[in-house]
Amino acid sequence: MAAAPTTRLPLALPGFEQIKRGWNIAYDAYSARLNPGEYYVTKNDECIYTTLGSCISACIRDRATGVGGMNHFMLPVSADDQGAKAAGLSLATRYGNYAMEHMINDILKNGGRRENLEVKLFGGGQIIANMTDVGKRNIEFARDYIRIERLQVTAEDVGDIYPRMVVYFPATGKVRVKRLRSLHNNIIVEQENKYLHDIEGKPVGGDIELF
Amino acid sequence: MRTNITELVQDVGNLVTLPDVFVRITRLLEDPDSSTADIARTVAQDPAFTLRLLRIANSSFYGFPSAIDTVAKAISMIGTGQVRSLALATNVAESFKGLPNTLVSMENFWKHSLYCALIARSLAKQAGRCDPDALFTAGLLHDIGELVLFNRMPLQARYALLLVLDSGDELPVYQAERQIMGFDHAQVGGELARQWQLPEMLVECIEHHHEMPPTLRYPREVALVHIANSLALMAELNTQEPDDAPPVEPNAWSLTGLDPDAARREIIAEVQTSIAEAEKLFLGRAS
Repeated sequence: MAAAPTTRLPLALPGFEQIKRGWNIAYDAYSARLNPGEYYVTKNDECIYTTLGSCISACIRDRATGVGGMNHFMLPVSADDQGAKAAGLSLATRYGNYAMEHMINDILKNGGRRENLEVKLFGGGQIIANMTDVGKRNIEFARDYIRIERLQVTAEDVGDIYPRMVVYFPATGKVRVKRLRSLHNNIIVEQENKYLHDIEGKPVGGDIELF
Repeated sequence: MRTNITELVQDVGNLVTLPDVFVRITRLLEDPDSSTADIARTVAQDPAFTLRLLRIANSSFYGFPSAIDTVAKAISMIGTGQVRSLALATNVAESFKGLPNTLVSMENFWKHSLYCALIARSLAKQAGRCDPDALFTAGLLHDIGELVLFNRMPLQARYALLLVLDSGDELPVYQAERQIMGFDHAQVGGELARQWQLPEMLVECIEHHHEMPPTLRYPREVALVHIANSLALMAELNTQEPDDAPPVEPNAWSLTGLDPDAARREIIAEVQTSIAEAEKLFLGRAS
């Protein structure tokens, strides 16, 4: 039988009320479900989970207080084309910085200390053959960011050809990464492409070939 | 609910049919007046299948010591029943091109099926008392209901897959399908096999590869495909961690007398090395 929730859904931190949450039978805990482009920070004993294709998730927590969160993003592809590279800081990098900084700032705002932060990195898979390896680009960005910010990566599972399901418990730092079978590839690619179109400000179904 | 599945399968009757050469060999095998020479003649009338048959007969799939250069020799070495199995196995991916879908690439679909086929065959050899080549066919066909659902009920099938992802991959696909549609791909595949009048053993393996009822006529064969499906996903995901794949019913191990740890350790590595050649033999172009 499914275990019933033992407590009421804990309050979300201000700004995270719109993230979808519910009771997770498998983990006997409340869980927040992230879609591409979202992030979630919590002080509660709850888990955060998401599905990754070529997108990347950084799981960051304060190892002393347990406040932490997860993001889910990728760099826009077309933003880097012209001009931007010459400016030193491309639009793509700015987008990635934004995704990382906002989450870290929210962790710090809620009692985290920079020197206590530990990072775990997941995703960046190349789940469709013969496509530009955008996953690799996302991994390289995240690693660069972490190095420049002098943060510490304590675990990672990135690259390869599999989509992943990542479940993260900021309170303890525990992570479960599950490779997903190829049956799920198309739906994951479709969701990530929709997100990519959104961040590039293009209508869905525009000029990018999915397959 | 049964009528829904029946109608669904009747709907695809014109879109996907059994390979001609398989149907003709089956007819000959059921005819007491026919001979092996008749079967050889029927095979020879299908040049693409002849080529595939000889290629497979000479490959490490069988590992015969000497070259097999004629259909007659292939039939005498492999056996008529097995040649019939191969007539289905080597043509089934082609047959299902009539049922395209946008949810899974045919390449990924048949790769999983082929993994399952190779593993079922290998497990059958270890377990004994069943026909490895028939188990190969059962493994190759186990998910065909999925192609029917993806083509005929794409919105519901898609919703079922979203439900699986939303559950954190905890809800099995077949259970998500039951929640959305009231039946699952195993039942649909079983019904298709039944309408095709495939042997009862294949029908049972396809229909019950996720859940094994206690009343099966072929419990050992079904158990082998049930185990093979789980190991096939472990091979695909390149993992030795059983938790990453669908659970195997304890009953399946005891029915077959196989050792879970040894099966996982040995067979996964074995099929990972043979999958590329098998893809060429069974799914690649005939010429």
